[in-house]
Amino acid sequence: MRLRSPRWLNNTIGVLILITVAELIGRTGIAGRSWPPLTDVVGYLAEPVAQATVLRALTATAASAGWGLVLGIVFAAIAALLANFIPVLRPGLDRLASVLNAVPLIALAPLLITTVGRESTPAVVAALGVGFVMFVAFTAGLAGASATHQDVFSVFGSARSTTLLRLQIPVSLPTVFDGLALAAPTAILGATIGEWFGAPRGLGVLIVSAMQNYQVLLLWAAALTAALLSLAAYLIAVRLQSGAVRRFT
Amino acid sequence: MTESATDTIQSGGSAATAAGSTAAVRPAPAEAIALRNVTMSFDLGRSKRMTALEDFNLSVAEGEFVALLGPSGCGKSTVLRLVTGLEQATSGEVLVEDKAPADLAKSHRLGVAFQEHALLPWSSVRENIALPFRLARRAVDWQRVDELIRLVGLVGFEKARPRQLSGGMKQRVAIARALVLSPDVLLLDEPFGALDAVTRRRMNGELARIWEEQHITTLLVTHDVEEAVLLADRVVVLTGRPGRVRHVQTVDMPRPRHADITRSAEFRAVVDHLTDLLDVDRKAE
Repeated sequence: MRLRSPRWLNNTIGVLILITVAELIGRTGIAGRSWPPLTDVVGYLAEPVAQATVLRALTATAASAGWGLVLGIVFAAIAALLANFIPVLRPGLDRLASVLNAVPLIALAPLLITTVGRESTPAVVAALGVGFVMFVAFTAGLAGASATHQDVFSVFGSARSTTLLRLQIPVSLPTVFDGLALAAPTAILGATIGEWFGAPRGLGVLIVSAMQNYQVLLLWAAALTAALLSLAAYLIAVRLQSGAVRRFT
Repeated sequence: MTESATDTIQSGGSAATAAGSTAAVRPAPAEAIALRNVTMSFDLGRSKRMTALEDFNLSVAEGEFVALLGPSGCGKSTVLRLVTGLEQATSGEVLVEDKAPADLAKSHRLGVAFQEHALLPWSSVRENIALPFRLARRAVDWQRVDELIRLVGLVGFEKARPRQLSGGMKQRVAIARALVLSPDVLLLDEPFGALDAVTRRRMNGELARIWEEQHITTLLVTHDVEEAVLLADRVVVLTGRPGRVRHVQTVDMPRPRHADITRSAEFRAVVDHLTDLLDVDRKAE
């Protein structure tokens, strides 16, 4: 019999290895001066001034990402419901979503600055990324009921709205939360990219200005914070997803 | 809503009165399900067509239990899907209570149990059985739901979720769900097809008992000869594809029929005869 190590132990070991390697590369300096040891970055973050700067940026980025997430989900849900109730629209909406997704966000951002303004661009870029992922998740989820389940609802004379409420939505939830696990980090990525092009504050702004002024520790601190925020969003979504799977399958 | 409720009482309540009053218009016994010269073919693409049913005729009287018996792939499930209104016939006429089949489904007077139980995995047994009330947007009659839980022998499992139940129990939930609105017509598509022989036999006994209590017009699709003979008033044997009626066997053994009836000489004779008829097909193939 083979003993299997528990998953949390594997995960912890993996993370520890990653941190150690990053630290070693920084200590030995083999990647140059732009790769500091992680301990220096953490030490830098412990300073009150740096902490306040990063925290202010984090709040701004998290707010933009949050708005982007909500906007993206709402628009994706509306589009998916339209596609569900008016099947003629389905191919067109699918194509529109693909085209929007094919346009690089980085190309859209300068355009958005001139249209929706510097303040809102991060949220809108985030919403665009989220919208596509969630549209795919919603449409796939709503179409996920088995043929027999659909037949059962038909023969009992269920109205389309009742079928949506009592069959399609519950069936879709695991898929929708799967989508959310992808969309949440996408929102943070989108918000950060949106900030590069002249937003007044945020982690993206911090990253760009630290890069231009060669403030290596600040750059790493901002990047690390963005990564942790993204990871936290992902983990929350995964937790929700496993809850949905347990309840709805 | 009140209107449809009165309808149900009239049509299901006293068949004798209904038949008497309409005798002048329509000769009794009333025809609940009628298929006339029905042909059903499916497009398989590349200009190929598969004919599932050809010139098919079937009539089920009100309160009658008819079993459709045939080899797999003979189109017997197609007959059932035509009666539910889930499929449209290529030609010919399908009538349920003298109307288009979909009308019965829309007015929530149809009960169906499929081979796949198709219970909602997120709902309890009790909620699954109550589902037709919700789909009909009526207040759930919990007394009726609990009565059916008793009828199908699932007392104590009300709160269980489908995945906690055995295959036979899931099918009993599906049958209770089909019966809960007291439908005018009950359609059963191999409801015990996925069960082992022993469970299947027991379920047949239970279905016979349930049916004794309320003689609902029933169309059962099966490939199990004993099941058909045990349950039905008439057994319709279908030919292989395309499906046509080969033989109609009236089973007038007295009800209630218990499991011991399956050992009687009369029962065996009918079963053997029908099995031979099914075998003709296989020999031809």
